[in-house]
Amino acid sequence: MKHTPQYGPGTSVVAENRRHQMDPGHKLTTLRHITENDIVLLLGHHALGARYPNVHPPLAEQQEPDCPMRKLVKPTEGAKNGDRVRYIQFADSMFNAPSQPYQRTYAEMYRFRAIDPGTLSGRQIVECRERDLEQYCRLLLETEMFDPALVSLRGATVHGHSLRLCENGMMFDALQRCILDNDGMVKYVKDQIGLPLDKPVSVGKPLDNDWLKKHSTIFHSLVGTPLRDDPEYIEYLQRIHTLRTKYGFLPTEVQKP
Amino acid sequence: MQNTTGYPQCRIVPMRMLSPDTTKRLLEKVVTVPGIRRILLNGQNLPLTIPYGPARGAKNPHSMRKTIKVADSDIDLHVQVGTITLEIEDRSVTEKIRAICNEFFVDFSCYVQEGRFMKSEPSLVDYAKYGPRADKAMIGLVDPKRKERPSVIRFSKDQVCGWEI
Repeated sequence: MKHTPQYGPGTSVVAENRRHQMDPGHKLTTLRHITENDIVLLLGHHALGARYPNVHPPLAEQQEPDCPMRKLVKPTEGAKNGDRVRYIQFADSMFNAPSQPYQRTYAEMYRFRAIDPGTLSGRQIVECRERDLEQYCRLLLETEMFDPALVSLRGATVHGHSLRLCENGMMFDALQRCILDNDGMVKYVKDQIGLPLDKPVSVGKPLDNDWLKKHSTIFHSLVGTPLRDDPEYIEYLQRIHTLRTKYGFLPTEVQKP
Repeated sequence: MQNTTGYPQCRIVPMRMLSPDTTKRLLEKVVTVPGIRRILLNGQNLPLTIPYGPARGAKNPHSMRKTIKVADSDIDLHVQVGTITLEIEDRSVTEKIRAICNEFFVDFSCYVQEGRFMKSEPSLVDYAKYGPRADKAMIGLVDPKRKERPSVIRFSKDQVCGWEI
């Protein structure tokens, strides 16, 4: 029998959204288009038009050892060309941002290859080869995993996830990397580490509250879907909590299925 | 030396973080209420230079870091205002503040809390900074590490809101 992954428990819309993001077979809706040049500007890792610096010669020019794993695992484009390892980091507001740090890591691990995510409570960083990173950014920025007001690229000084929003609905950013312009578009005026850009990069209009509530991946009892509304999720959490407590304390207490 | 212990306090907590313009409009209404001794604006720090990362030390232009004018007094905002704490003469002032806030906040809600939110007795750090004869009116208004002094808002000749320099 073919195994069908479940990706996660739950019957609520939050659980469903989490599964959609994690399932590589599910095509995420593209909501905006950001050009390759704009992505390079936002990341700030190399100058526009510059060649990708590399840390080792391309694999084709190297003498590869005779290794069965190397034959089995095909290198990504970035690895083939010997690119540097670079990063993108996101901060997601807890006020119904479409993705959340742990959720991002799960989704990226299912969808991307050759990545090294770092997950924290209010931010998530993912590292990989530079060429691959720019390809992955396309999915992270253009699809329903991103909202211009509630998700923000923050290489450093990331505080904002758990704060109240600003009056205009934007997540607080001490470096004000993006602004809500008069035309209703969110524009990045600084790159992800806070250095000013030569020209603003537009990332589209903020999504409305109803859409955010329907596409959020965080439970929130005040502005979104409360966790209590999803008994299956609670049952799963309680099971994990019970098992890990018992295994840590008295493994013999745990009954085998 | 003024004794600030024992005065009631209240705190305005809007559901959104306030822009300088909104802070100015709100403060202009609040400072007209008689019986306010001290006002403390709390919020997230807006650094002048980038504090962390590869761009550390670079300038950090931020539209929320502004100087606002309230009752002819300049106030340099170093933070994006999240809460406004008030030390008041008596608890009846809280109701007046609440009435102002209910009328002022239309697009999002706000609540006014009663309690003790501002330092009223010098701590060890205050002792180290200001010494044993510190003016208690200043305690709790500014971070002891900062060199700036609190602003004084003079609403009229008879009424002074803030700390007398």
